[in-house]
Amino acid sequence: MVNHHPSTDFLMEYSAGTLPVAQAACVSAHIDYCDKCRRAHEQFQSIGGTLFDALEPVPVTDSLLERILAQLDDPAPLTFTPATQDEALPGLLRRIINGDFSQLVWKRVTKSLSVSYLSTGDTDYEFALFRIAAGGRIPEHRHGGSEMTLVLEGGFSDGHGSYHPGDFVFRSQDDTHAPVALDGEHCICLAVTDAPLKFTRWQHRWMNPFMQLRAS
Amino acid sequence: MIEQNNDSGTESNRPNTGWTIPSGRRTDEWSECLVLIGNKQDRAAFTRFFRHFGPLIKAFALSGSSLSAAHADELVQEVMIKVWQKAGGFNPEKAAASTWVYTIARNCRTDMFRRLQKFDTQLAAEDLNIELEEEEPFAVLHNRRGADRVRELMGQLPPDQAQILAKVYMEGKSHSEAAAELDLPLGTVKSRVRLAIQKLQVQMDRL
Repeated sequence: MVNHHPSTDFLMEYSAGTLPVAQAACVSAHIDYCDKCRRAHEQFQSIGGTLFDALEPVPVTDSLLERILAQLDDPAPLTFTPATQDEALPGLLRRIINGDFSQLVWKRVTKSLSVSYLSTGDTDYEFALFRIAAGGRIPEHRHGGSEMTLVLEGGFSDGHGSYHPGDFVFRSQDDTHAPVALDGEHCICLAVTDAPLKFTRWQHRWMNPFMQLRAS
Repeated sequence: MIEQNNDSGTESNRPNTGWTIPSGRRTDEWSECLVLIGNKQDRAAFTRFFRHFGPLIKAFALSGSSLSAAHADELVQEVMIKVWQKAGGFNPEKAAASTWVYTIARNCRTDMFRRLQKFDTQLAAEDLNIELEEEEPFAVLHNRRGADRVRELMGQLPPDQAQILAKVYMEGKSHSEAAAELDLPLGTVKSRVRLAIQKLQVQMDRL
């Protein structure tokens, strides 16, 4: 049961196609888990359809129609099928990972935290998976910018609430939090952020110069 | 003025008959056209569809953007070829023909902008907007009613709210871009959007 959702503003910008690629991918992955947001998304698209219907038509030529008719018999381009079918993961993520979690290269940040950077082509946003060991803690931090988080496996809590697979959390600049993975299972989250995280406690601040945004 | 589709809205005038399905079957011309294209590769139907939707796709291409007329024609071409290839997957029980075309046009326009800006991503807009199949008939009908209600209520929105939705959906502007262009504070844009969503009764029971 998914309990934490993207805001109305995010859903609307997603349905209008105006969210940056990395953020759109995160909202899309949430919708894979969440029937309620999918239904709201379909209704948002009807807003677009209705406005589209009401546009003032701009004439098109017959020669354009002929050019199109001449191309109709060309075969449709092949569509991508991911190599593995780990059904627990949204199809879009399988595609970005090009497989499942076993394909990932994890980089250790602290004893209980590893990260795997992925590429969406969006150079403004880092798109990364974080793995926290069962019961492990990420030192208290804030972000220079915004962060979207989607839980994929396990769960975590952070003083505002606890989050399970499919849950979507948005933190804006200067929100401070210290996520702790739930006991019993490691936690894997997707995080989309436009600024590196900054540890706030003195004993962890030495790491800040090493935290760079890896947007690609 | 916004409401052009004369068969939408019939759902809400009908008494609530509970589980009798499918009272929402649509018989409008453009849905039938799409079914003919999908099932029979009917070129005459495709030509009719082009004559109606081609000028709307072109208008959409030119809405609030810097696309040239040549790019706008290219967009009409891309969208109409996708219509031909994907019409077999169109389900008239699920979506209005114009909403279906709109989503294709939106995706193609987003991709065209990214190409023109040399924004290199392996993810097409279509990949980011995966249409998930709803199989359960009651859920399909329920969703469809919500979509028809939005369509019907759009005509009743005050102009200041409709204007912002048009900026967002037709011109592809973010809320902050819409605020800058209309010379309004971002908070005003967001509150108008929220009022519009309430009036359209978009199902927000998730929150």
